[in-house]
Amino acid sequence: MSEALVAAVVTGILLGGLYAVIALGLNLIFGIIRVINFAHGSIMIILMYLGFFLWYLLGIDPYVGMLIVVPVAFGFGYGIQHVLIRPMFKREKSYVVEPLGVLLLMAGFDLVISNSALWAFQARVWYVYGSAFMGSVSLGFLHLTKQRLIVVLVAVLLTAGVYWLLNHTSLGNRIRAVGQNREAAAICGINVHHIYALTFGLGCAVTAVGGCAALPFMPITPFAGMGLALRAFVVVILGGLGSVRGALLAGIIIGVVETVGAHFTNSSIAAIIVFAIFLIIIVSRPKGLLGTIEV
Amino acid sequence: MKQNRGIEALGERLRTRQIPLGWVIIAVVLILLIIVPFAWKDNSYYVHIVITIFIWGYMATAWGLVGQSGQLSFGHAAFMGIGAYTTGILYSQFGVTPWLGVFVAIGLATLGGVIIGIPTLRLRGVYFALATFAFGFIILMIVKNATYIGPVYIGGGAFLTLPRAGQAPAVFQFESKTPYYFMALAMLAGIVYLSHWFNRSRMGFYWTAIRGDQDAAESLGIDAAKYRLRAFLISCALTGLGGAFFMQYFRFFSPQKVLDVSQSIQIALIGIVGGWQSVFGPMIGGFIIVPVAELLRLNLGAFPAMSPIIYGIILMLFILFMPNGVNEPFMRGLNWLERKYWRPSQNANNENNEKVGRQ
Repeated sequence: MSEALVAAVVTGILLGGLYAVIALGLNLIFGIIRVINFAHGSIMIILMYLGFFLWYLLGIDPYVGMLIVVPVAFGFGYGIQHVLIRPMFKREKSYVVEPLGVLLLMAGFDLVISNSALWAFQARVWYVYGSAFMGSVSLGFLHLTKQRLIVVLVAVLLTAGVYWLLNHTSLGNRIRAVGQNREAAAICGINVHHIYALTFGLGCAVTAVGGCAALPFMPITPFAGMGLALRAFVVVILGGLGSVRGALLAGIIIGVVETVGAHFTNSSIAAIIVFAIFLIIIVSRPKGLLGTIEV
Repeated sequence: MKQNRGIEALGERLRTRQIPLGWVIIAVVLILLIIVPFAWKDNSYYVHIVITIFIWGYMATAWGLVGQSGQLSFGHAAFMGIGAYTTGILYSQFGVTPWLGVFVAIGLATLGGVIIGIPTLRLRGVYFALATFAFGFIILMIVKNATYIGPVYIGGGAFLTLPRAGQAPAVFQFESKTPYYFMALAMLAGIVYLSHWFNRSRMGFYWTAIRGDQDAAESLGIDAAKYRLRAFLISCALTGLGGAFFMQYFRFFSPQKVLDVSQSIQIALIGIVGGWQSVFGPMIGGFIIVPVAELLRLNLGAFPAMSPIIYGIILMLFILFMPNGVNEPFMRGLNWLERKYWRPSQNANNENNEKVGRQ
């Protein structure tokens, strides 16, 4: 392998870490509540704006700002599920697991918040400079930005944390139970709508961690979230609905495919390849690489 | 005097209320719409708005056919774009008249539907919506970034325009808006009739059954994937035709105009406001949303972010509080009018009969 190709693979892994975090948040929402959170990218961008302005106005480093942004994200997510989506679930017939209406509802919500961001913050590109962990690490011919390495580290830690939460805690048991069978979980005395809202909040919080960790090197614009969220959908489908480890694996695969594809062709063809993978997976193996949920 | 007798017979049927009120209203509206371009002869702007209403009503009705079979397509702009680009490029680069080019457009749109439809229609629920969305995105990316596909120049995201030919019916270009108006009206009336006809056909009943409960429908021997695919392909072909007309009318096309995600959302918005999964709903949605969009464009032109915000709010409100769209109250009102004023006597008879029957 040539040096450039190795560099492309490594860059892909670093990029994949970011995709994995966003996809992990989406996976909680999509995999458990079965809501196509069309507004995922916009929600992340709104939270990143919050992190940005904490830095811009108060001088709080984005890594410290997480302590404020993440709880806000949790509350925001809880509120969205509780206020907007719950009425939809209550109205639908009990056996409809994936109400199509919610997809449209979230598409409408996405229009509202992304354009509100455009209205409030203009189409300007905002970016943070001079936060902690500047500089890069050199490994032979490879030069790795520390801040991007941190995102990968965050992705691995968050994946481990969410995996532990889902598999080894009582709350995790309840969340998985609701994800597997809403009716049966309700019969067992689980407050389904509370768990749903908690899961949505958790998903937003995880995404906010990723967003804040990416803030030091990623400029923000009102519509930057859509492209990331679309890739996150690809990652979730590739990794498997509801599969936490699958999201990490698939995130890195997609990141590598995209950078290596861009290395040989150009970035738009790479994006087309990524979406072609999405279509192929949806058609040939809808439960994904590590998925367990049958569709 | 056979004609006179026909008119007399019609009058007689009207007097005796043998014709349902719905048909009478449709006839009156059609006559009014036929008068519109002559009444607004000097005001081509209004005529243009009505044509836009027809085009979007047409698109939404075509989109609604997928909804009738219980699926949600979230990438319909792709098929509209395929139609627009095909006829536009065939005419401007190869000199093929749109009258022929439209058949190629319909063929390619259907081909796109086959590519996306055959593998995905066995999947349930949201996967089809996601797959159509991804397909729309891929087509958008290709057209936005490629300058040439083989020998064909597609502009790489630039605006392409159609060479003007003046008054030339042979290549579907006219000086005045009136021919476009009647063409669009005919297309809208045609597609709504077609949708109504499908809805009442055997296949339409299958669609309704699949939409209601796929497992129950399949247990009765209905091949859900097959009939869903048919609904989707018919919808793709008709959307391609609509895209071809769209391009001929506006005479320019770009990815933003005919392929963008926002166009898919606009089609879905119109369909949902009118009434997803209904026959007349999407058309009614067009009559509501297009004027609203135009008013927003005129009054809030300085704040380009405002109209998408308002669209988003409208979409959310309808999904939350009126998921069947305005079609439902509309039809209820029609039924009420019919019962109360159009056929009060027959109704009374029916009620008497029912009472007798119960005794």
